[in-house]
Amino acid sequence: MEIQRQVPVEIFSRKDLEKALQRIKKSIWVFHLNTGSCNGCDIEIIDVLTPWFDVERFGIKLVASPRHADVVLLTGPITIKTFPRLVKALRAVPRPRLVLAIGSCAVGGNIWFNSYATLGGFPNVIDKLNELGIVIDKIVYVPGCPARPEAIIYGVAVMLGLVEQKTRYKKVKA
Amino acid sequence: MESLSTDNEFENLYSYLKKISNRFVEEEDHLRIVVENEKLREVAEVLSKTEGVFLRTIAASDERSVNGFYKMYYVFGLDRIHRNIVVEVPLDAENPVIPSIADIVKAADWYEREAHDLIGIKFSGRILHRFVLPDDWPENVYPLRKDYTVQDLVKLYRPEIIAKAREVEAEAAIIIPIGPYHPALHEPEYFELYVRGEKVVGARYVGFMVHRGIEKLAESMKYDQVPFLAERICGICGYVHSTSYCQAVEKALKIHVPERAEYIRSIVLEIERIHSHLLWLGVALHLLGYDTGFMHVWRIREQVMILAEMLTGSRKTYGLNIVGGVRRDIDRDKVNKCVKVLDSIAKEFKEFVEIAMSVPQVKSRLRGTGLLPRNEAASLSLVGPTVRGSGIPRDVRRDYPYAAYKYIDFKPVVRTECDNMARTEVRVEEVFQSIELVKNFLDRLPGGGIAVDSWEPEPYRFGIGAVEAPRGEVIHVIVTGRYSPYRWRVRAPTYQNLPAVPIMLRDVDLADAPITIASIDPCFSCTDRALIINIEKSDVRDVPLVALSLKGSRLLR
Repeated sequence: MEIQRQVPVEIFSRKDLEKALQRIKKSIWVFHLNTGSCNGCDIEIIDVLTPWFDVERFGIKLVASPRHADVVLLTGPITIKTFPRLVKALRAVPRPRLVLAIGSCAVGGNIWFNSYATLGGFPNVIDKLNELGIVIDKIVYVPGCPARPEAIIYGVAVMLGLVEQKTRYKKVKA
Repeated sequence: MESLSTDNEFENLYSYLKKISNRFVEEEDHLRIVVENEKLREVAEVLSKTEGVFLRTIAASDERSVNGFYKMYYVFGLDRIHRNIVVEVPLDAENPVIPSIADIVKAADWYEREAHDLIGIKFSGRILHRFVLPDDWPENVYPLRKDYTVQDLVKLYRPEIIAKAREVEAEAAIIIPIGPYHPALHEPEYFELYVRGEKVVGARYVGFMVHRGIEKLAESMKYDQVPFLAERICGICGYVHSTSYCQAVEKALKIHVPERAEYIRSIVLEIERIHSHLLWLGVALHLLGYDTGFMHVWRIREQVMILAEMLTGSRKTYGLNIVGGVRRDIDRDKVNKCVKVLDSIAKEFKEFVEIAMSVPQVKSRLRGTGLLPRNEAASLSLVGPTVRGSGIPRDVRRDYPYAAYKYIDFKPVVRTECDNMARTEVRVEEVFQSIELVKNFLDRLPGGGIAVDSWEPEPYRFGIGAVEAPRGEVIHVIVTGRYSPYRWRVRAPTYQNLPAVPIMLRDVDLADAPITIASIDPCFSCTDRALIINIEKSDVRDVPLVALSLKGSRLLR
């Protein structure tokens, strides 16, 4: 059964993105995607949602389906086994597709950067995702092992353009 | 610890073992015997029939460059006399075949599958398919053999992930499973439940999505780098792994850790247990639909995180251990603050538990569900609160005392009801116990250094390090190398406990399945160092066996 899955990449300009970000400034819904993380970042994400940090007061809510999500919270170094599921989940996310890569693993593979079983972080899979016709409109990286709750909240604010981004990600050839 | 000669409980066993093989080494914490291939089944039979012996771990190791053999280490524990029996079986370098003991010792099942896939050991009497590694892994490449370095493996294995991704997306039918991405589970994991009406008749765990190749990575790292790697095995109970690794190396090389370092390790271990149990209780209440409780537990838990940051410098993943000691000291000021915070946690938690456990929905959902009978728990060699909820007082802190637990009197918390409530009560009780323990340790904190000045690695020594993690026993087996560990075997508690899930799910209402799965406190990032597909055959008849064996790993949806 051969299904033609190649959906033409829609044109989604910078202006469109800005417009869309304007619209979702308040009450964003997030979907949590663990791609082989050690749980450290994941429990910090739950920490952010529970009373001490309580982001629900900003209207940020964890949802169960990627189809409802405004932002994907991605943790882990992306193991080879989770990649197909990652693609499936990311394709279900509506445009603009916003990804918050949380933790050193998602940022650059951390201690697993050269293991045979991982792909070594989100930057390494972006071109593979493009090949499969998935465009990521905006990525914000939140480093830390594990990323602190404050950093995660800051990352979301940067994503939405509420605060200025201080540094930019540069791909360095190791 | 009583000495061997005064204890005659296992004397028969010891004399039998010494008779069967004249090559044995007796050390402080273990007896190591070399057994021939043909006699293994006999030895396993005797050990499994002896009351009070259980299988702790099995490690396969490629030692061809050292002595020309592959080796299997079977570690059996004798809880009551605080000792281990290590059965060592050398295997032919050309054709490593060993008789399977999975039919004698049930718990050996997964270990054999893993050894088959990662080292290429063949088990006579069992047909094993590719379980551990991905489908498209090259034939006859075994990652843990010494023929390959990590760099070789990365070059050898170029997975066709894009094609695979297309294939997964094109699958038309989807069986509604639990996982791998599911809002109730916070990790990629996958259970298939087989249901007749509203009753669960079987369960299947297809997982190991979080295989990151840790054991291989450690072979290319220096001794002092590995604790940081070990800590990243798990983000919830990472400190137990680094402690366990350090203890294994220290045992193997006979390094004596300063007393103060032992106390600091124990304090941090207990703080980790408090945070982990509170986390579990929150998630369990969330699964029961009692979200108010979930939020309140996490509010209380946040104080523990702040406490951990004060003591170690990090909220999680403390990075505190090195071989031979710890890196940070605790001063007077911190001790005082710590006691104050612990008192406030104890007070708030007590208040909370009284309210939460009297909620009728919580009570009725927990009591009588997820039954795990005592004899089944014993035969599967289960560990941690899972086994203590079934009336077996197994606790590494008492059975194989390590760190500062040597210096105190310790009694494990046990419940005999065998249901979800029993396991919950064990954990709640342990939170209070841990708070008392930390205060006790802080009170007795001795002076002195916090790490040994220097130590020399010696190759090919054998060491076992075990720690009671929040979820049960973590055990690391190490064979030392010249600059880095030669073979490092990690066994996490969930690895041992997962086979109990199908038993607990038998005749449970579908609605109670999530809480029952959660009641062993599964931690998949610990377990999934290896990729294995476990198929519970006993109850499930509706699944075609061909599909299970050959295309087993493809069944992941």
